[in-house]
Amino acid sequence: MAARLRLGLVGVGTVVERYHLRAVRGVPEVEPVAVVDINEERACQFALRQGFHFATTQKQDLFGKVDLAILALPNGLHASVACELLSNGVHVLCEKPMARNVPECQAMIEAARRGGAQLCIGHNRRFRNNVNLAKRLMERGILGEVIRIEAEEGSTADWPRSPAYFDPVQAGGGALIDVGIHSIDLIRWLVGEFREIKYAGNGTTTTVESEAELRFRMANGAEGKLLASRTRDLQQHIRITGSEGYLDIGLWSDNLRMRGNKGKAFQQLPYLDAYVSRRPPQDASFVLQLNNLVNAIRGEAKVLVDGFEGKAAVEVVARAYGQSAPNIALPAGVSGCAS
Amino acid sequence: MTSWSNSKVDHNSAGKQPPANPPTLAILCCEDHGNLAGVLTRLRSVSPPLLPASLPRKVVIKPNLCDVVSWEAGVTTDPSWLPVLAAELRGIRPDVQIVVIESDAVSAYKNYRSCDETYDRLGYREAARQHGIELVNLSNSESIEISMGGIPIPILISELFLEEFYFISIANLKVHPYERMTAILKNALGLLTDADISSLHPYLSLLISHLHRLCPPDLCIVDGRIGLQGQGPILGDPVRMNSIIFSNDALAADVAACKLMMIPPEAVPHLRKVAADLKRKFPVVQLPADIHPRSFAFNTSSHGDILLKFANKRLHRSSERFTNRWLDRFLRFKREPVKFATEAVPKLVRRLHGR
Repeated sequence: MAARLRLGLVGVGTVVERYHLRAVRGVPEVEPVAVVDINEERACQFALRQGFHFATTQKQDLFGKVDLAILALPNGLHASVACELLSNGVHVLCEKPMARNVPECQAMIEAARRGGAQLCIGHNRRFRNNVNLAKRLMERGILGEVIRIEAEEGSTADWPRSPAYFDPVQAGGGALIDVGIHSIDLIRWLVGEFREIKYAGNGTTTTVESEAELRFRMANGAEGKLLASRTRDLQQHIRITGSEGYLDIGLWSDNLRMRGNKGKAFQQLPYLDAYVSRRPPQDASFVLQLNNLVNAIRGEAKVLVDGFEGKAAVEVVARAYGQSAPNIALPAGVSGCAS
Repeated sequence: MTSWSNSKVDHNSAGKQPPANPPTLAILCCEDHGNLAGVLTRLRSVSPPLLPASLPRKVVIKPNLCDVVSWEAGVTTDPSWLPVLAAELRGIRPDVQIVVIESDAVSAYKNYRSCDETYDRLGYREAARQHGIELVNLSNSESIEISMGGIPIPILISELFLEEFYFISIANLKVHPYERMTAILKNALGLLTDADISSLHPYLSLLISHLHRLCPPDLCIVDGRIGLQGQGPILGDPVRMNSIIFSNDALAADVAACKLMMIPPEAVPHLRKVAADLKRKFPVVQLPADIHPRSFAFNTSSHGDILLKFANKRLHRSSERFTNRWLDRFLRFKREPVKFATEAVPKLVRRLHGR
């Protein structure tokens, strides 16, 4: 058996507690070693509780002691911390969004190249079984030509957010870069590149948007709409409609509703509901994501969501935020202009 | 001699999505069991035609290979169907891709039956090799877990069903211990990729109805040259019936099979369910003069034994649960009597109050 990869956690907030920690336990090829957090007491308690060897407030303490690090920090810290780790040869799994803007993403890619390290961006949903099934079915041509995409994700209070989430400088944006970027990444992966985009959001120079609407046209001509919200309960799905059927991918469930007009199964049934992951752990995507990075470090696979893929999603967000004024009607009761 | 009869179907009650073609049925006499090609030749003269004028690129054939037993025992489908059907289908579309499907299975008696083994030992592998036919073990194919209304357990089906194909189901004429008879509709259980479907047995009729909607056969063949009476569907005695049922409608084919075995279709739970779900009445089937029905012996005593065995199992399980529950309570009481009393008494009061 190859030597285990020593792992450090940088930032031990909610996403680590809920998801990454379970993934670390689920990948025996990594050895939990270090915890870094700005809050020393929290770092120490976490390390003690979860069996990590040491805790620190200084990321430099990781050099030479860990092989890979999981970065779960406020968006504004992603680039600076990741660049330092990557250029020192530490492989990095960085939470989404990759960074606040394209230059920061580019710097991270450069740092990874310089340090000879792997960089993986935490668009974990690509590893979900229903998304993978959708990808497989699309590659089989079940939809024919894609003509329409609709994505919705949002809820009133799904996540405990720190003040950094609401600061335009630290976060780089609101609902779109935080929530909508998941759908942006999946749409890119499943359908292709975004060509034209029209953005509307209620952010200002001093506040991030809680509502974002993106209308877009893909490179293949398909049109679509993406809604992201931090204040409304939306449908949490991506529906991809093609000339021969549709796929409705649950973003918060493991469901994939499908229809292929020509398929035998749809001769009498209007659609099929596929549940492709019902056994615990409920969301195995974080385990699969870490597995992918470990395999890439060992030279046995390619990182599925590398720096270039992460940057491409941020690029779409940056283009949206770069538009000076909203040119689409916002939902009733929502006002403001694009940041 | 060519014999055929059209089933009479109440078209007004054919459900929301009636089949593209009106249900048609033909029952042909086949005294020479080795002459399947001759039977298909006679089938061509049936009007309205049962064989298609055109075909999609792929044709899928589902035989009944429920055990490693030769077809002469009346249990499995004769591999001789493959060359004659291949010739017929290639006459319609020369570049047609013919695929035979079946899946692994665990019988109600907990015997594991490998689909690949049945392909090998029943002569399917050899016939497929000779005639350019592809054999697929659905249990090894890419599958999707889907939900079916009313069945709390997800169902695994092959991704094959998302493709376009012409579907031929070939079943045998057999009695069945729970369902009374089995033919085309129940043959669809082999479309499930899970080998052990015993957990789905409480929902058998509903499942069969769902599977019929998922993958309705375009051509149904009930090979009644040799039927099976006794306990079924793998145990029993062969009966020479010398008849083959062809239909484009699974319900009509199964009702005709019932007629041959002299079993009232109303006595078959899954037929009742399918007819109800399709909002159809049972088709009226007239047997041709040269086809002679026969009352199939049904080994009810062994059927009773099986039911008794399952009832005993259920009783044993429930008594085990009952004992475990009280043992658990007793241990909790022994460990922490005060806590147990403070928790259990209010719960008991609530329950009594609720009643």
